[in-house]
Amino acid sequence: MTEKNVVSASVGRALSHQLQEADWLADWRESAWTSFQTLEKPWLEKTDLKRCQFEVVEKSPSTGSHLEARKLFESVTGSAVLILGNRIEAIRLTEEDKKNGVVLMSLHEASHTHRHLLEKYLGSVVPSSHSKWAALNAAAFQAGVLLYIPRHVEVSSDILIIRSEEEALESAYPRTLVIADTGAKARVAEMQFAKPAATSAAATSDVWEVVAENDARLEIGLIDEILAGPYRFYTRRAKLGKDAEVNWYAASTGDGLAVSDIESLLDGNGSRSNTRVLGTAVGRMHHDLTAKMTHAGRYSESDIVMHGVLRQKANAVFRSCTEIVKGAVEAGSEQHDRMILVDSTARADAIPMLLIDENDVKRCGHAASVGKIDPNQIYYLMSRGISEKLATRMIIWGYFEETILSLPVEEAVREAFVARLEKELD
Amino acid sequence: MSVPQLVIEGLHVTVEGKEIVKGLDLTVGGGEIHAIMGPNGTGKSTLASALMGHPKYEVTGGRVTLDGQDLLSMSVDERARAGLFLAMQYPAEVPGVSNANFIRQSLNARAGEGNEIPVLKFHRQLQEKMKKLNIDASFAERYLNEGFSGGEKKRNEILQMSMLEPRIAILDEIDSGLDIDALKIVAEGVNNLKSPQTGFLIITHYQRLLNYIVPDRVHVMMQGRIVKSGGRELAEYLEAHGYDELKAELGIEDESVQAGV
Repeated sequence: MTEKNVVSASVGRALSHQLQEADWLADWRESAWTSFQTLEKPWLEKTDLKRCQFEVVEKSPSTGSHLEARKLFESVTGSAVLILGNRIEAIRLTEEDKKNGVVLMSLHEASHTHRHLLEKYLGSVVPSSHSKWAALNAAAFQAGVLLYIPRHVEVSSDILIIRSEEEALESAYPRTLVIADTGAKARVAEMQFAKPAATSAAATSDVWEVVAENDARLEIGLIDEILAGPYRFYTRRAKLGKDAEVNWYAASTGDGLAVSDIESLLDGNGSRSNTRVLGTAVGRMHHDLTAKMTHAGRYSESDIVMHGVLRQKANAVFRSCTEIVKGAVEAGSEQHDRMILVDSTARADAIPMLLIDENDVKRCGHAASVGKIDPNQIYYLMSRGISEKLATRMIIWGYFEETILSLPVEEAVREAFVARLEKELD
Repeated sequence: MSVPQLVIEGLHVTVEGKEIVKGLDLTVGGGEIHAIMGPNGTGKSTLASALMGHPKYEVTGGRVTLDGQDLLSMSVDERARAGLFLAMQYPAEVPGVSNANFIRQSLNARAGEGNEIPVLKFHRQLQEKMKKLNIDASFAERYLNEGFSGGEKKRNEILQMSMLEPRIAILDEIDSGLDIDALKIVAEGVNNLKSPQTGFLIITHYQRLLNYIVPDRVHVMMQGRIVKSGGRELAEYLEAHGYDELKAELGIEDESVQAGV
């Protein structure tokens, strides 16, 4: 295992060459690298990044078996990608998806075969200027995945991307680009398998760029395993065309340190987006999560529902933010954040934000609460003979139920996630 | 199985430092239906919640036994498993937990590990009981009391009671907010369960419920204790004359618990 920090000015180009990408992508990475170096080290209100070192981490792949990930890949029937460490191990397309022209491939290869798509969309939703960690990802991403759903294609089975690490930092900069062309419909999810490591100052950066063209509809599942180790940055962002719909279902578990952003840019008139967040935190986890809706399109609508359960010394900051820019008339948005503190040592902040520059708003509201489970609920369940322990468990699972059922994944994936959640909650 | 018996002796209950129930004696046996009546604010619901063990209600004196066992030393779930049931006036809503799952877990908790009720048998029983109570089949998969109307919540309490077949059932204002049809259904649920194996304690301020559920004993609560007991004719007397006449007869000016000595 070797680990070294590369400070060479041509890191993007060198990596591009190594991944045998087209020259234009090497140039693209190079310019991202320049942004990365010029961007200030960020400051976050609720997360201390003083120790965090934004440097490119290179790590030779481990020899682990990736058993869970391989098993899951074999057990799903829809189109799927299996990524082990920083290498795409296998890509499988169903006959139907193949026939419909669905593209599921490595971004590196796509730089040759689908140059027009990439030039149009890569970095169009998460540009390098977005944040220091977004620039880091653009310069150094590996095992990038492109999913393209052609016009008016409705994908009937759930598409799955599996990313597995046998050692922390093995896959430090994953990137996924999803494009649903006009009128296309699909359900796609990513499930990550991580391994814990000693706390380090290194930073990882994970980027999902999603484009939903006019009338397109995407259901997106994100199952993150945030384990102790480096600082983990997640940027998931979608841009919506006219009457497009993107629904996010983001589930995370673990004891690590993460800064997550999930955002929908509701540019198109009549576009809509829902975000459901399910987060559990144990140990000394610190999770700084922002779910944001930016309404630029008229009549655009969004809802954010966030559910957190915190145990031990975990700490979470869940922000929900709705921005309605001037001109986005008749936009509507609601936020519901609820954080349950199971142990009195856990801490949580639920921070709702409404940034409204338009007078003509259809609906806008928020509700946020942090606290223990409602004692009346426990009492009610106990009054029928259920033990306090089981009552607590039932209430927490009940609280997660809708999000778990909404995950756009096959049953095998849902079961794997439920098993992970069970381990975390018991 | 032996005939159930709930014995309350000299019960005192305090809520947030204020004494609400002030020395109450009552014995309810299997096969009996007792009604506790009385104006608002006389301690009726406090009695019910204290018997179930709601953490907000502190028992400061007296003794309660269920089948000879000390009820007050048991936790809420132990009381339920011993056979006590409280149909609540304001049951909690629990999103994400289906009615069916809740009731099945409740039954299994009572049956104990290894004696769980088979899933199919459970669903058959549940559907049967729901039909009897004129409850729509979709009720089973709806989340516990979430978005239920007042009447639906009450019927749900009765459904749970009929599934759990408690030894002692306390119904706290089960008739409040019910229209006449719903009231009849709820009463039928109680009457169907009537057997030597179950004793009932029905708390209400109106006599109308007692037109459909015929009580064996009627007790009037004022100032945190039972001030008068009688047969069903006492309920009829109250309906005809109101509480005021009884107060005059007993020499009570203010029936509320604040007025108690």
